[in-house]
Amino acid sequence: MNQQDLKRISPYLYEIPREHRHDMRVPARFYADAELLQQALGDKSLDQLVNSATLPGIVAYALAMPDIHQGYGFPIGGVVATETPDGVISPGGVGYDINCGVRLLGTRLTRDEIAPYLDQLATQLQRDCPHGVGRGGEFELSRKEMEEVVREGARWALKRGYATEMDLERTEENGRIAGADPDKISPRAYERARDQLGTLGAGNHFIEVDVVDEVFDETAAAAMGLFPGQIVAQIHCGSRGFGHQVCTDYVARFQKVVHKYNIQLPDRELVCAPLSSPEGQDYLAAMKGAANFAFCNRQLLTHLIRRSFDHALRGKVANPGIYQIYDIAHNMAKIEEHEVNGKRMTVCVHRKGATRAFGPGSPVLPDVYRAIGQPVLVPGSMGTASWVLVGTEGSMAQSFGSTCHGAGRTMSRSRAKKEVQGGELRRELEERGIRVRAGSLAGLAEEAPMAYKDVDRVIEVVHGAGIARKVARLVPVAVVKG
Amino acid sequence: MARCNSNWMTFWIPFNFWSTDRGYNGVVMSDSDLPEDAIRVVEHTADWSLRVRGGDLAELFGRAAVGMARLLAGDLAAVPLDEVRELALVADDAEGLLVEWLGELAYWAERDGLVCPTVELHELTPTALRATTRGGRLPELQKHIKAVTYHDLAIRPYDGGLEVTIVFDV
Repeated sequence: MNQQDLKRISPYLYEIPREHRHDMRVPARFYADAELLQQALGDKSLDQLVNSATLPGIVAYALAMPDIHQGYGFPIGGVVATETPDGVISPGGVGYDINCGVRLLGTRLTRDEIAPYLDQLATQLQRDCPHGVGRGGEFELSRKEMEEVVREGARWALKRGYATEMDLERTEENGRIAGADPDKISPRAYERARDQLGTLGAGNHFIEVDVVDEVFDETAAAAMGLFPGQIVAQIHCGSRGFGHQVCTDYVARFQKVVHKYNIQLPDRELVCAPLSSPEGQDYLAAMKGAANFAFCNRQLLTHLIRRSFDHALRGKVANPGIYQIYDIAHNMAKIEEHEVNGKRMTVCVHRKGATRAFGPGSPVLPDVYRAIGQPVLVPGSMGTASWVLVGTEGSMAQSFGSTCHGAGRTMSRSRAKKEVQGGELRRELEERGIRVRAGSLAGLAEEAPMAYKDVDRVIEVVHGAGIARKVARLVPVAVVKG
Repeated sequence: MARCNSNWMTFWIPFNFWSTDRGYNGVVMSDSDLPEDAIRVVEHTADWSLRVRGGDLAELFGRAAVGMARLLAGDLAAVPLDEVRELALVADDAEGLLVEWLGELAYWAERDGLVCPTVELHELTPTALRATTRGGRLPELQKHIKAVTYHDLAIRPYDGGLEVTIVFDV
C-alpha cells in the first residue's frame, strides 16, 4: 500500500477506492492525520483493511480508526458492518479476546488526599487483583455456575453481592447481552476458564489509578461526576481463556463450512458464515456468552478494586465512594440499526479494537448519559494520558456509531523488547511519580510507551473528524500490569 | 507428488515433504539440534510471529512446537522434562493441522503451565498427526499465547524444504 493509493476525503479521513483491488466490495476509509497516516503505511494494517472490504454483505465502507495497526484478519481499529440476515459474521473480525473492554470507576478522592498512600494502594491492588500469565483467581466456578455467568453476565455478580444496580446500569448492554446460549460453547472453554473469572490476564491488560488532569466538556464531565484532581481507576481486560476458546472453536468450525456458502476470502483468519446460517447463529450465541463472561469478569475485578482501596486507605482518607462511570467493549459484533445510504438498516457491526460511540438521544444509553452521548473510554499507553470522550451525531452518521479504542501500537513487541529495558522503564515511570507493579519486566518492556502512537494525536483526529468529543484527560499515578 | 490443497491456495510439493518415511520412524525435535535460521521471530506490530523452516512436514511441525515453547518459557534449559503426553489430531489440511497442533500445546501451557521443549512425531500426514511430547510445568510463563491464528498461514516450499509464518495472538 502506498500513499498514492489513497484519496483524502476530508482533513482527517482517507479513502482506498473500491477499484484498488478487484475483490473489494466497498471502498475502505480510515481516520488519520499526516503522521498517523505514515504510521499506518508502515505495517500491513491498510492491506488488512482492504481484505476486510471483501467480506460478503459488507455495507458502505470498511472503516478503520486512527489507532489502526496490524493485527490478524481484520486490522486492529477496524469496523465492518454487514447486512442482515444474509451478510456474514466473522469470529476473526471480533478477535480472540471477545469483549475485551475498558471500565472506568470514579471516586470521591483527590490526588492530594491519596498521595501519601499511593505505594500502599498500588501494592494492595497488585496483591488483590490476580494478574499475569496463567493466574487463576478466588472465584473458581462449577460448570453450572459458569453457564449462569454466560446467560446473566454481570447480573450474576449482582446476585452475589459483588455489584450494585448502578454498576450494571452504567455498563454497555447493562452487563448482559440477551441471546447467549451456554450449549453453543465447548466443554474446553468451560474447563479453560473455570478459575479465570475475576482475573486480569497478561499482555496489554492493566488496572490503572489515574487523576483527572483536565476537563474539556463541563456538562458531560458533570454527568459522569468528573472533576479536575479527582482520582479514578481503569480496568482493561476481557473474557480471558473463555473467549479465546470460543473464537478458536468457531474459527476452526467455520473453516470447514466456508466453501459450502461459496465464500472466497484473501485470508483464512477472515473466515465467516452468513449470519442467518446455523453456524453464524451458533457463533453469535456463543460470542454473546463470552461477552457476558467478560462483563462479569470486569465486574468482579471492580469488587476486588473496591476491596483494595478499602484495605489500603481505611482510616487514612474519607470513604473512597467508588462508583461506576461506564464500561465499554472494544472487541465485539453487535446487531444494531444504522442509516446506510439514507436508509435505516439492521446490520451486524464488527468492532475489532474499536469502541461503540452512540450519540446523544440513543435509547440504549442510561438516563444519566442520554443527553450527552455514550461515554467512550480510551486508555493510552502505559505512562501516558487516557481519555474520556462521548459519542456524537457524527459517529452515528459516519462510522456506525464507532470511534477509536486506544493509542494503537506502532512498534513490534520483539523490537520493543530489544530497545527497552523493563527495569529501566519502571525506574523512569517511578521518577515521574507513576507507581508500577508488573508481573514481568520483559512484559513491561513490550508495553513501553515508545511502542505506541501518541494517544493525544489519536484523540485530536476523532474529535476533529467529529466521531467523538473530548470530555476529560486522565494521567496515571499507579499501574498494575498483567 | 502430492497436492497440497488448502482452501485458499493450491500448489505442488514433492511427496516426500509430507512423509515421515525418510529412513527413520518419525521425528524427535528439541531445542538443542536446530540450525540458526530454523526458527526466526518476525516483526509484527500487535502480536507475535514466527517464521519456521524444516526439511519436511514433520521437521516443520516439530520446529514450530519448539519455537512456541521458546516463546512460552524463554529459556528452555530451565524446563524440566518430567511429563510425557500422547497426542493424536486430525484436520482438513496441513495448515489446519498445524493450528490444531500448536493450539493444543498452547492450551496445555495456559491450563497446566506445561511447556514441551521436546516432541516426537510418530505419524504425520497433511491431515493427521500422532505425537509424544515431553516437558514440564513452570510456575510462571514468559508469554501468554491466547491463540494460534490462520492469518496468512500457508506452508510453502522453500529452498528444498518447507516454510511457514505463524502469527500468535498474545
